[in-house]
Amino acid sequence: MQQTTPEVGGMGHSIKRKEDLRFIQGKGNYVDDVHLPDMVYGHLVRSPYAHARLKSINTERAKALPGVLAVITGEDLAKANLAWMPTLYFDKQMVLATGKVLFQSQEVAFVVAEDRYTAADAAELVEVEYEELPVLVDPHKATDPSSPILREDREEKSNHIFHWEVGDKSATDKAFQNAAVKADVHAVFQRCHPAPLETCGCVADFNRATGRLTIYLTSQAPHAHRTLFALVGGIAENNIRVISPDIGGGFGNKVPIYPGYVCAVVASLTLGRPVKWIETRSENLQSTGFARDYHMTAELAADSDGKIQALRVKTLADHGAFNAAAQPTKFPAGLFSICTGAYDYPNAFCEVDGVYTNKAPGGIAYRCSFRVTEAAYLIERAVDVLAQELKIDPVELRQRNFIRPDRFPYKSPLGWSFDSGNYQAAMDLALQKVGYAELRKQQEEKRKKGELMGIGVSSFVEIVGAGPAHTFDIAGIKMFDSAEIRVHPTGKAICRMGTKSQGQGHETTYAQIVAQELGIPAADVTVEEGDTDTAPYGLGTYASRSTPVSGAATAVAAGKIREKARKIAAHLLECSEEDLEWEPGKFFVKGAPSKSKTIQDIAFAAYTNIPEGLEAGLEAVDYYDPPNLTFPFGTYICVVDIDKGTGEVKVRRFVAVDDCGNVINPMIVDGQIHGGLTEGLAIAFMQQIDYDENGNVQGGSFMDYLIPTAVETPHWDTDKTCTPSPHHPLGAKGVGESPNVGSPAAFVNAVVDALSHLGVRHIDMPITPWKVWNVLKEKGVVS
Amino acid sequence: MALRIEKTFQVSQPIEKVWSILSDPAKVASCVPGAQITEKVDDKTYKGSISVKVGPSVTDYKGEVQILRLDEQNHEIEIQGKGQDVRGRGSAAMTMTGKLAMLDGGITQVTSISEVNVVGILAQMGSRVITEVSNVMFNQFSQNFQKLLNQSIDQPPVANSATAATVVPAPVPQPPEPIEPGSIAWQAFKQMLSRWLRALKSMFSGQSA
Amino acid sequence: MAKKQLVRVKVNGRDRQAEVEPRLLLVHFIREVLGLTGTHVGCDTSHCGACTVVLDGKIVKSCTMFAPQADGSELLTVEGLMTNGNLHPLQEGFKEEHGLQCGFCTPGMLMSSYVLLQNNKKPTEEDIRWGISGNLCRCTGYQNIVKAVQFAAAKMDQRGAK
Repeated sequence: MQQTTPEVGGMGHSIKRKEDLRFIQGKGNYVDDVHLPDMVYGHLVRSPYAHARLKSINTERAKALPGVLAVITGEDLAKANLAWMPTLYFDKQMVLATGKVLFQSQEVAFVVAEDRYTAADAAELVEVEYEELPVLVDPHKATDPSSPILREDREEKSNHIFHWEVGDKSATDKAFQNAAVKADVHAVFQRCHPAPLETCGCVADFNRATGRLTIYLTSQAPHAHRTLFALVGGIAENNIRVISPDIGGGFGNKVPIYPGYVCAVVASLTLGRPVKWIETRSENLQSTGFARDYHMTAELAADSDGKIQALRVKTLADHGAFNAAAQPTKFPAGLFSICTGAYDYPNAFCEVDGVYTNKAPGGIAYRCSFRVTEAAYLIERAVDVLAQELKIDPVELRQRNFIRPDRFPYKSPLGWSFDSGNYQAAMDLALQKVGYAELRKQQEEKRKKGELMGIGVSSFVEIVGAGPAHTFDIAGIKMFDSAEIRVHPTGKAICRMGTKSQGQGHETTYAQIVAQELGIPAADVTVEEGDTDTAPYGLGTYASRSTPVSGAATAVAAGKIREKARKIAAHLLECSEEDLEWEPGKFFVKGAPSKSKTIQDIAFAAYTNIPEGLEAGLEAVDYYDPPNLTFPFGTYICVVDIDKGTGEVKVRRFVAVDDCGNVINPMIVDGQIHGGLTEGLAIAFMQQIDYDENGNVQGGSFMDYLIPTAVETPHWDTDKTCTPSPHHPLGAKGVGESPNVGSPAAFVNAVVDALSHLGVRHIDMPITPWKVWNVLKEKGVVS
Repeated sequence: MALRIEKTFQVSQPIEKVWSILSDPAKVASCVPGAQITEKVDDKTYKGSISVKVGPSVTDYKGEVQILRLDEQNHEIEIQGKGQDVRGRGSAAMTMTGKLAMLDGGITQVTSISEVNVVGILAQMGSRVITEVSNVMFNQFSQNFQKLLNQSIDQPPVANSATAATVVPAPVPQPPEPIEPGSIAWQAFKQMLSRWLRALKSMFSGQSA
Repeated sequence: MAKKQLVRVKVNGRDRQAEVEPRLLLVHFIREVLGLTGTHVGCDTSHCGACTVVLDGKIVKSCTMFAPQADGSELLTVEGLMTNGNLHPLQEGFKEEHGLQCGFCTPGMLMSSYVLLQNNKKPTEEDIRWGISGNLCRCTGYQNIVKAVQFAAAKMDQRGAK
């Protein structure tokens, strides 16, 4: 790859972000900032019960309140066949409840009023009569005959949703029978929530004068949402415009379509006025896409040298009341089968069962590729447990089993073809940075003094960039992505992509790709996303797919422009195309470098001096179907100290070595790592959305669902290795989610390592001081 | 959200007098702040309501109280109350066992063991507060109970064979004042805060390794 | 409905006033009545700090105040940080040090840091982390925000600016 100058700002340059200017002035345009003339407000009435029959809804008092324009119930929606809507995964979900409610906080009625406060007042006046039903919150009891059947709307009267398996069961079982050593771990990845700082919401604006519906939407996938609104709502797709303006964080939470959006659209269509609906934080935590809630068991079979021979996994997935998972259709458990990890062995078998419970529906991919965090956590915990069993150092065990660089592309026993990897190199760099050998010595000494210190390692492999059309689609739409680039006469450019940034810096990074491929300075390239009227169709931004798919499309589109530019350059320089050589920003004649034309010269010519037979203009669009996913990886090492008196775990040091192939903007990548590690820290130590036996949500606000502040968050020490992707035009892989994928295991492995000499093998997250203190008490370390 | 609350208090009244009030749900209800018996369905079943205001939010529960067990010999009563929020924001259920015991010096000990189950919004935001609110409510209840006891001394004792018609009426039921947020929530908050401060103090004064 | 009350404030140097319901939250007053949407709402329990503004020199979470409580006060919001079209050193710092990603917490962070630096011209890293501990961020992990504030402190120290 040819280097560009810092002024041009192509790949590898840490240029400052172009989008920052408006945000630091408070001039971002988030959905709640959208203010349209005649706009009204919506507020949802929600169920306090986890499972109950809806006996009656009395909206009279609410409707009578001055300023109230409408109160919509499930019955009203049912008349338009909209009381139910399809989920992104072969199920349907109630928009507003009819017949019964299935989780606490489920949407029951939608009030529309002239202002926010009146809408909230009116919601309090809606009188709903319920008849409580027995509640199911334990997924392990979902298939017990004594448990209530939740989904009366399904033909199959059962709480079991799906069974999925992959791998060779008999070969795996045989390997286990013949194994010299076996180790197993039961690890629960607790239900948590992405909690982006901006909650979900929309402004639905049906304009009677033009017949068009514009929806300002907190959406990570605006085109897919537009198509779904068209199909479900029966509105012509050319009359729907979805605009995702600035989004205050997504992390997967803004991928599904929520009842509030549908109600706002219905209200706007009915009233002919813009309807704004913005959820509160409590509503966000209690009803929108949760993540994880995977109850997993992993078994590893190994020989006496610690060479892994087989992996066997069984998982129970709690999907809540509706299967609103956002996964590619062929994968009910997402890409969970990446759970074989960074290790080379021939046999694996994995099965997952999904069940319904009286909890909020989902689950979405929270800052991970679909279900990859669960998978990475499981294998990295299992390897540590195996290391404990064999009494081998966990680093040593990993190194014995790493897939070697010459094995790539590597076919995993569960069917994935890893594009490239050098796991040992990342491990080596991490070990050196953290001073591993010294730390182990220090741990020995501290143990003699009764002090608790632990070192946790996580060598994860991610699978991102969904995905090739032959295997991947969401709700039937293939998972290609797109880029459209247009160069103006004065050599500046505008691009639009089918993805949608929620803070990942696309306005800068895509411009840098164009800068790399065309030599136009990134500062001269405007990048737009999120308006379905102008951007080419794409599947959006989540699961770290933007750089792998849309980034590739950008490179390919730029390549098409370069090819036309070559023709124009040949025309201007009066030579043949073969005589020309390219360096970023210009074509020059081989052997006569002073005979050259810059891309700016060429752009101008494209409108003023067009060669015969060529169209005017200088632009291209590309829809990229990736040949494979990309497999970023890394090694994280975490050092913790445990306070015996309080059970508090302090993260003393955290070294993160990531490999995402060729990097576009190192500063932006580092920022992503910092953010993802902080989310991983929160999950490992402080977060859980729990339900009591009556289905009352226990993690329903920031009082209980804890977000780390700057005080709890440690310093993150980041570094990189670079193993490019052989199939990506830029050699790049995705990276935004690696830190959330790889870090939970690093944190948990560190805590367990601190207590392993006491016989502790596993502690489930969140590892609160209370949990640790109880373990210490149980082991007689404290009384 | 299930809570178990055990409370004991003493009154300097003979056990039979105390029993005459404890065994009458209408009288007991009149002592519970914000509660009211509205209808007697039969000997064992009553309809009633209770209004609880915590901060700015008022929850009006409407429901039923049932006497599950009445043991005159041992002065034990077991009642069950179930109510739904009239605005559909949740429900609450409670089983309470009330026991009397005679102590020296003409003192009667009243022990109540209650299991309270709350479903709905209060059980999320208010779960910490529910225990404290129950404590404060119980303290008010025991004060009212004692007041009622002292008043009834001036009334002629109830003849055991009296029919419902001649039962001395309970003090005229006032429309129940919703429990004041100022008093209950503030008291509850103060109690919670003083507990936390005590816990914090002991944490810092204690030694950690 | 309660009688409307007149609220008079000086916002970013300008005198503004409006008649509002007494229960109108200050954050809604700022965003919807005054039209300054840089201040954000991120939670309903006053934890997140996205609504942080400066009221009479102190940082307050404007979601936890009623507009009438600000009557007669001076308010500074993120829109008032620039002077004569020049970025405040803090705003520069956030840009130079990549102290923001989605931008939603940024106005609150800027206001908290602004008052921090007013009261402490040479903050340590710990001072800064405590100073912004009332502001939650989901994107950055705070590391670059700390660097942004350090950048601003150094720059302001250099020019002896206020």
